[in-house]
Amino acid sequence: MQSQNRKLDWEQFLKIREEALKSWPTGQEVDLAEAIAYQKQIPASRRFGQRLEEAKKEGITLAQPRAGVALVHEHIELLRFLVDEGGADLLPTTIDSYTRQNRYNEAQAGIEESRTVGRSMLNGFPAVNHGLTACREVTEAMKVPVQVRHGTPDARLLTEISLAGGFTAYEGGGISYNIPYAKEVPLERSIRDWQYVDRLVGYYEEQGVSINREPFGPLTGTLVPPCISHAVAIIEALLAAEQGVKSLTLGYGQCGNLLQDVAAVRSLEELADEYLERFGYKNVVITTVFHQWMGGFPQDESKAFGVISWGAATAAMAKATKVIVKTPHEALGIPTKEANAAGIRATKQLLNMLKDQPPLVNNEIITEKELIKIETRAILERLLEFGEGDIALGTVRGFQAGVIDVPFAPSRFNAGRLLPARDHNGAVRLLDFGNLPFGEDIKEVHREKIAQRGKLEGRDPSFQMVIDDIYAIGKGMLVGKPR
Amino acid sequence: MEEKKQLTLILGVIGADVHAVGNRILEYAFTEAGFKVVNIGVMASQEEFINAAVETNADAILVSSLYGHGEIDCRGLREKAIEAGIGQIKMYVGGNLVVGKQDWLEVEKRFTNMGFDRAYPPGTMPQEAIDDIVRDFGFKERC
Repeated sequence: MQSQNRKLDWEQFLKIREEALKSWPTGQEVDLAEAIAYQKQIPASRRFGQRLEEAKKEGITLAQPRAGVALVHEHIELLRFLVDEGGADLLPTTIDSYTRQNRYNEAQAGIEESRTVGRSMLNGFPAVNHGLTACREVTEAMKVPVQVRHGTPDARLLTEISLAGGFTAYEGGGISYNIPYAKEVPLERSIRDWQYVDRLVGYYEEQGVSINREPFGPLTGTLVPPCISHAVAIIEALLAAEQGVKSLTLGYGQCGNLLQDVAAVRSLEELADEYLERFGYKNVVITTVFHQWMGGFPQDESKAFGVISWGAATAAMAKATKVIVKTPHEALGIPTKEANAAGIRATKQLLNMLKDQPPLVNNEIITEKELIKIETRAILERLLEFGEGDIALGTVRGFQAGVIDVPFAPSRFNAGRLLPARDHNGAVRLLDFGNLPFGEDIKEVHREKIAQRGKLEGRDPSFQMVIDDIYAIGKGMLVGKPR
Repeated sequence: MEEKKQLTLILGVIGADVHAVGNRILEYAFTEAGFKVVNIGVMASQEEFINAAVETNADAILVSSLYGHGEIDCRGLREKAIEAGIGQIKMYVGGNLVVGKQDWLEVEKRFTNMGFDRAYPPGTMPQEAIDDIVRDFGFKERC
């Protein structure tokens, strides 16, 4: 079926719903009217969107970790620890990778083995298998808001269970949870399945229950230029707003150059306001999330704290509404709860030290912001052209044509022709533009900056330079020097 | 390596793991080193590894796992190779293989007990595995 950015018809929604709830037995536990009544009695202190709005007004940045384990009580203990020992302002429930691919049988085996061996065999919390009651047990045990974070191309059942389970925020989107998270899922399908998710959130909103939605900003987390992640964030904001979503948090993953990162966060919010207004979506509250460095980390914990702190400082100087925190175990995989709390403490120290300092403004930031806006608009306008005015259709056609393209994504529905590399200042530029619809003037800016670096390093920019950049932070540098 | 036999390697990321970046770099590094690389990409099942090895008469299977489910996903791969009649094939595994920071020697033992010839901890550079493979197949030096 052809993609279309149009509000899902309610009757049609109910028909899809019936099928979605059947895909695992716990789906039958969800009663929409009961779920809305349940959500209504959740106090304001545990409502995610409300907390973000307050922070935005106060001009402060909130800290949120990632965390999830296989078993319910261990998960509750983990989240409590992150608040009590880490000082987390907002909590996650990170979903395991089997659940993300709707592989509930394997998730079940992971739960059972975790019980037997006495440690988590899963990299997250299998919310679908545990079901509604367990989710409520988790959310009720917390005094701060809890969001579901995952990476699921078809998240219909997970969303139903999560919202009925008392989570008040939900991450993901039809592009950001497909292109970086799947190999074989057509965009038409994931966009449609996420229109279902947003329609459900929109329905809660109509009934007076506000659920915060967050498109996943960093995409592959590997040298993604701001214009690419911004374009995806704005498309997903438009798709969500059409289905009735009112609370949106748009994300961006740290690239590492302070000026580029600050410019990126600020331009993201301004661009989102611009496009939402242009398409007539009113009363949508936009907040921002800054992700600490998503690429390879140093193994040494002190060095890792350096990377974490730089991300925290950048988030604070950019005045992002929240920051997603990394841990000193990042290079090794899933962290212990102690390491996770340590990352939050380091982050909060920086946030607190910087919150009273005025936002960073200078000419370079203004120039960089303008460049990001021109690039993002170039992509979005071409997509709208491709879709004859419809952004959903334009996105599907645009990915086919490579006019929007995500570096290093596993999906075969992504052209994968971009080659990003750092310039001599460490900002992420493009070495190969693929089919991005950039004018010669923009391309010249990138070419010049990368050529300058090549000259300083005495080598021609190539794929080796890209690889050096991917490893650089793990090895203690920002720009990857020749080996 | 050109003068000798060019080794064929099956490369892939096992299970429900979508980490694509390292996979791309490994393909590049092993190809540059002179191997024939058959890259089955991310989210590869055990069957896909075995089938690719049988179809291409491969010399070794290289399994990556970055997301922590490596222990569950890799179990039984050696048995599947034996069933398929390629029980002697060399098998290498590396990445962030388990959930949480665990003692590496313990983790390594768990994977060699599963039938892997070698296991690599987080942060291993491609060159290390390239050197090992060259040595394991009795070549004196890389081409």
